[in-house]
Amino acid sequence: MKDRRWIALCAIGLVVLAMLNLPEAASRRVKGAVRDGISPLQAGLRGGVRESRDVVRYVRGLGDLALENRALSEEIVYLRGEMRMAQELARDNQMLRDQLGFVRRFPNKLISCEVIGRDSTGWWQTVRLDKGAAAGVAEGRAVLTTDGLIGRTVATSARTADVLLLADPACKVSVRLKRSGEFGVAEGTGVKPGEAPAVRLDYVLKTADVQPGDEVVTSGLGGLFPKGLPVGRVAEVAPDASGLYLTARIELTADLGKLEYAFVAATDRDLAAAQVEPVPADVVLDAETGFLEGEAP
Amino acid sequence: MTLLVLLFWLIVGGTLQAALPAWRHMGQPAFPILLGVVLYAALNKKARYFVAAAILAGLVEDALSLAPLGYSSCAHLAAGALAVLLRKDFFADQARTTSWFGALCAAVATGTLALLLRSKGLVALSGREVLWRMAGSAVLAAVLIPLLFGLMRGLERRLGTWEDRA
Repeated sequence: MKDRRWIALCAIGLVVLAMLNLPEAASRRVKGAVRDGISPLQAGLRGGVRESRDVVRYVRGLGDLALENRALSEEIVYLRGEMRMAQELARDNQMLRDQLGFVRRFPNKLISCEVIGRDSTGWWQTVRLDKGAAAGVAEGRAVLTTDGLIGRTVATSARTADVLLLADPACKVSVRLKRSGEFGVAEGTGVKPGEAPAVRLDYVLKTADVQPGDEVVTSGLGGLFPKGLPVGRVAEVAPDASGLYLTARIELTADLGKLEYAFVAATDRDLAAAQVEPVPADVVLDAETGFLEGEAP
Repeated sequence: MTLLVLLFWLIVGGTLQAALPAWRHMGQPAFPILLGVVLYAALNKKARYFVAAAILAGLVEDALSLAPLGYSSCAHLAAGALAVLLRKDFFADQARTTSWFGALCAAVATGTLALLLRSKGLVALSGREVLWRMAGSAVLAAVLIPLLFGLMRGLERRLGTWEDRA
């Protein structure tokens, strides 16, 4: 009896040891298979929750529909005017670029994805997308929403991709202050109790002009993130511990707690590797201007 | 509990655990649903089911996170082994005892996983943050695990696979 118990214990130990020491490729395959297997359930659950939320919103909002309709009509008129101006500016910009012979450095294509889950352990700030390598999503690509950058892809399987969010301490982004042009590194601070996810701006020169409210965008340095994507706004500025640099707290433009959809900035090579047809022009991101091409012809 | 029922709970547990947001106010612990499945097997079933549950639950949990494969299995095995050791001395069928068991084992599992992840430099948390998180997962488990046990027992009774303590 005792012998059998020892054999069982040794067998368990061996299984765990084997799992801990699986080669990287095998580990990825196992993880990918589990993720792909569970992803339809995750998508279904997420879809169900969204549908019920929409029904509740619809029922609650019935009384306010007329007022909301009026406000939206006014907003449409305003936005149409803004769009016309933006189109004029974009056209001028393009003309000047053509004259100067500028070449687009990051003609990224956006793959639209749905957020279907979060990190199952809570140790990391990640979300799971419903598209993976089969749709052209590769690792290390910028992920954004209409509000701005939210993170980068860190692990992909055939049908899912995990995104490391900006609030995670492991996520570092080279950024630039839009007003003064100063460079720095944005690093996640994790989620503090009772606070919205935030990011810290480090390595900004002590003499730099940084003020609360300054807009922070990606610098494009390092080549990982396209240039000019909105990241957030400076909330507080203070000298860092060494006294050589300034450090600032950045409030993110995208709400990381309420992500439903996201776009992955894929390259032509990613799409070619996945044998995906090139996406139409209305979802092509011009990282030089930060516009979606279809919006700013 | 058949292997099929165990797999069902692991898939449902993994899906729910990845869908529910972590508790921001107490160190970001996730809802310990998969740990609940492991504890259910540890407290009510034969050792082989508990071991299979711990290894498979760890596999699902690690696959759905950035943790290397095997880490959560170690944490679940440690927590489940503690439950197996203690179950002889307590009436593990009562809701209050289940709640205490759940809280204790969730804290142990979180602590074990924190040790493993910190030793590899995969997370940068201070000792205080880890303790806070252990407390958070204990509170979540104390509330969640008796409910989960009720559901699992209910399903087993319906399927006719429920048997009193193995």
